Amino acid sequence: MRHQKFLAPLVVALGLTAAGAVSAQTLTMGVRGGPESMDPHYSALGPHAEAAKHIFDTLVWSGDDLQIEPGLATSWEPIDEDTWEFKLREGVTFHDGSAFDAEDVKFSIERIPVVTGPTTTTIYVRRVASIDIIDPYTLHINTDGPAATLPYDFVRLFIVSSDAAADYSTPETAAEGFNSGAATIGTGPYKFVSWEPKGDLVLERNDDYWRGIGAWETVIRKEIPNDSSRLAALKAGQVDVINYVSSVDYLALERDPGIDAVKGDSVYIMNLQLDQREDTPLVRAIDGSELDENPFRDLRVRQAIDHAIDRETMVDIVLEGLGKPANQMMPPGFFGSNADIPMPEYNPEKAKQLLADAGYPDGFEVDLYCTADRLPGDGAICQGLGQMFTQVGIKTNVNAISKTVYFPAQARLEYSMFMNGWGTLTGEASYTLGSLAHSNDPDVKLGAFNRIEYKNEEVDQLLQAAATMLDADERRATYEEAMAKVMADKAYISIVQLQTVWGTKAGTLEFTPRFDEDTLAFFIKPAS
Amino acid sequence: MLGFIIQRFLQAVVVMAVMSVIVFCGVYAIGNPIDIVIPPDATQEIRAEAIRRLGLDRPLWEQYFIFIGNLLQGDLGRSFVYNIPVLELIGGRLPATLELVLISVITATVLGVSLGIYAGYRPDSWLAKTIMAVSVLGFSVPSFWVGLILILTFAVNLGWLPAGGRGDTVLIWGVPWSFPTLDGLAHIVLPALNLALFKLAMMIRLARAGTREIMLTDTIKFARAAGLSEGTILRRHLLKLISIPIITVFGLELGSTLAFAVVTETIFSWPGVGKLIIDSIGVLDRPVMVAYLILVAFLFVTINFVVDLVFALIDPRVRHGASA
Repeated sequence: MRHQKFLAPLVVALGLTAAGAVSAQTLTMGVRGGPESMDPHYSALGPHAEAAKHIFDTLVWSGDDLQIEPGLATSWEPIDEDTWEFKLREGVTFHDGSAFDAEDVKFSIERIPVVTGPTTTTIYVRRVASIDIIDPYTLHINTDGPAATLPYDFVRLFIVSSDAAADYSTPETAAEGFNSGAATIGTGPYKFVSWEPKGDLVLERNDDYWRGIGAWETVIRKEIPNDSSRLAALKAGQVDVINYVSSVDYLALERDPGIDAVKGDSVYIMNLQLDQREDTPLVRAIDGSELDENPFRDLRVRQAIDHAIDRETMVDIVLEGLGKPANQMMPPGFFGSNADIPMPEYNPEKAKQLLADAGYPDGFEVDLYCTADRLPGDGAICQGLGQMFTQVGIKTNVNAISKTVYFPAQARLEYSMFMNGWGTLTGEASYTLGSLAHSNDPDVKLGAFNRIEYKNEEVDQLLQAAATMLDADERRATYEEAMAKVMADKAYISIVQLQTVWGTKAGTLEFTPRFDEDTLAFFIKPAS
Repeated sequence: MLGFIIQRFLQAVVVMAVMSVIVFCGVYAIGNPIDIVIPPDATQEIRAEAIRRLGLDRPLWEQYFIFIGNLLQGDLGRSFVYNIPVLELIGGRLPATLELVLISVITATVLGVSLGIYAGYRPDSWLAKTIMAVSVLGFSVPSFWVGLILILTFAVNLGWLPAGGRGDTVLIWGVPWSFPTLDGLAHIVLPALNLALFKLAMMIRLARAGTREIMLTDTIKFARAAGLSEGTILRRHLLKLISIPIITVFGLELGSTLAFAVVTETIFSWPGVGKLIIDSIGVLDRPVMVAYLILVAFLFVTINFVVDLVFALIDPRVRHGASA
C-alpha cells in the first residue's frame, strides 16, 4: 500500500509534463558553459561574456565575423599618439530608467582591476592610463603609449551603472551585489531576473532597448555541460536551441528530420608547438639514449613534421567534416591573416627525406601532449598526429590529457611537443601573435603564452612596431608579414580550424552563427 | 556514552585534517590553478597579479596555515572561480542533492528489503527468481549507461518525463525543495531511479541472504511453534534480525551517494553538489575541494555515529556491550 501512495503523484506528474509545451514567447537555451558571477567584470571566460552580453552592452560591439562595430560608443578615433576619443550613444537608458553617460564608462573601466577574478578582465583595460570626461557623451582615453588595438580591447568592456554598482565594487561585495540582482543593471536587451551558479539564468525583455525589441519576452539560459544530456534536452523539447553539438552527434543529426543543425566556423585553431630550447625534456633517440641536441631546433625537422600531417584526413575522418585545414594561427579574413601563405603539402616521402638530411634517418622518439577535454576533437586530432608522425619515423607517444593537468605543466615548460587550440577572440592579430609569437618578454608585455621559447628577432621587431601603429592599413600589412615569417619558421604548426554546431528544433528558429561561438538570444528570431 | 561521542568527534577532526592536507598537496602537485583560468592575452604582469590575489604566491605551508586560521574562525574561504563563500556555494546546492539522494536511497531500501524478504522467504517461486535475475542487472549495468537509456526512452522517445534539470521549487524553512511540486517530482523520477537501481539490487541481495539464514534458525521455529502468524513472524522477528547489516549498508550508501552522486547528477544536469565538486576539480578550485571533502568526512563520521546509535536501539546485545 505504501508504495502505491508514493507512486500516485508521479503518475499525475507524468501527464502534466507531457502536456506542458514551451510557450512561443519564451526562448530556452541549453548551453555548455555559464557565467561565474553576474558581475560582468569578474571573468574573461567566453561563456561568462556570452551571458553578460544579454544584460550589458559593450562599448564596442564585435559583429558576427568579429569585425568591430559601434556599440555604446558610436565612433572612436585616435587624436594623438596616446589618446583615443570615444563618442557615446545618446538616449540610452539603463534597466532602472537612469540615463547612460560617460560617467558610467569611466566607472566601469576603473572598476575592472578592483573586482576581477582569476580569469582576469584586466586585459581589456590594461592599456588605459587615465580617462578624461569631456562632456557627458565624449571621453578621452589616455593610454600608456600608442595603443593601436584599444577598440578591439573594448569589445568585452561591459558598461555597468555607476549608481547601481557604486556600493558593489570591492572584491568582497561585488559578487553579492550582482548575484542578487541589486547591481545587475545594464543597458542590454534583457533584464536580470535570477541566476544560480551552474544553474539557470532567467531574463526578461528590456522593452526600451536601443537596438529595438527582442523576439522573446522571457529567456532562460540553462547550463547543461554534458553533451549527450544537452542533446537529449533538445530532443525532449525541454530547450529550443543548444550549442556545441559534438561531431559524433552531428552525423546522427544530419539524418534526424526533427532537428536542424546550424554549422558555423570557429575562431579556434589547433596548433602544434615545438619546443625551441637547447635542451628539451621529452625527446630521445629510438634506442632510448639521449640526443646530442634538440631536433626541433632544426628547421628541416620542423618542415618534416609539417609535411607528415595529412590535414584533409584530419578534417574528413577525425573531425567528421567539422573543420577546415589551417595554414596559419588565425582564420582567413581576420585582421592580420595572410592570404598568401600556402597550404602545407602532405608528403610523407619528403618528410622522411628531410629527417634524413637533418641527421635523423632512423627518426627519434617524442612524447606528444594535448588537451583531450577542452575543444571538440582535440583528443582525436592528437591520436591522428601520433600515427602520422610515427609513419615518417618519429616514434610518437600520444598523451591526450585533461586540461587541468595540461595547462599548468605547459606553463612550467615541461613539454617538448604539444598541441592545444587557440581562439583569436578579438578577431585581430595582436591578440594571437603578441601572446604566442613574440619572445617571452615581460618588459614589453609580450609573449606571455610563448611556451616553446620561440624567438625570431625580425618577428619581435615587427610585432613591437605594429602594436604602436595607429594607421590600420600599415598595421595590417605588418601583422601579415609577421604571420608569414612565424608560419615559415614552423615552430608553430597550425593543423585545423574547428567548426561548431548548434542544434534547434526543425524549422523553429533563425540565427546567424557567430565566429566567437556566442549564443545570443537577442539575435535569435522565430522562423517566419 | 559521552566518552563515545568525544572519541568519535576527535576521530572526525583527525580525518578532516588529513583530508585537507592531502587536497592542499594534491592541488599543489598538479599545478597552478591560474594557468587553467588565465585568459590567453594576459601579460606576464597580469598573471603575476592574479596569482598574488589568490595568495598562490606564498609557500604552501603558509597558504595552509592561513586556511586553518580562517577555518578556526568558521570561514572556509571563497571559491577561486565564483568568488562567493564556499559554504554558500555548497549550501545552495545541498538541498538538490539531499532530496534526490534521500528519495532514491529510501525507495531503494523500502522496495529492496520487501522484495528481498520475499525472495528469501519463497526462494523457489518464479517471482523470487525474477527478482534475483533483475537484481543482477542492477549490479552489473553501469549507471551512466542506464541513465542515458532512461533519458532516451522516457524523455526523448516517449516524451513523458523531462530529460534533465531540476523542476519548480517551493521554499520550506527558507530552503528550496522541488519534491512537493508536480513539476519537481517529474524531474526527480528519472535521476532518482537511476541512482536507486544499484542500491535496490544490493538491498534485495542483503535482505534475501539474511532471510534465508534467519528462517532456518530456532527463533523462527519457536515462533511458529508458539502459533504466531507468518506475517507477525516476518514483521516482528525476521525484520529485526536482518536489519543490522541493512542499516550499516544504508548508512554507508547514504553517505557515499550524498557525497558522490556525480555520474547521475552530470547526466541529468542535476544542480547538486556532486556536479559542483567535479567542476571544481576541473579548474582546481581548491577552496571548494577542501571544504567539500572536509564536509564529506564530517558527514561520514556523523552517519556512522547515528548508525551505531540505531544499532544500540535495535539490538540489546550491542547496547549492553557498549555500556559494559
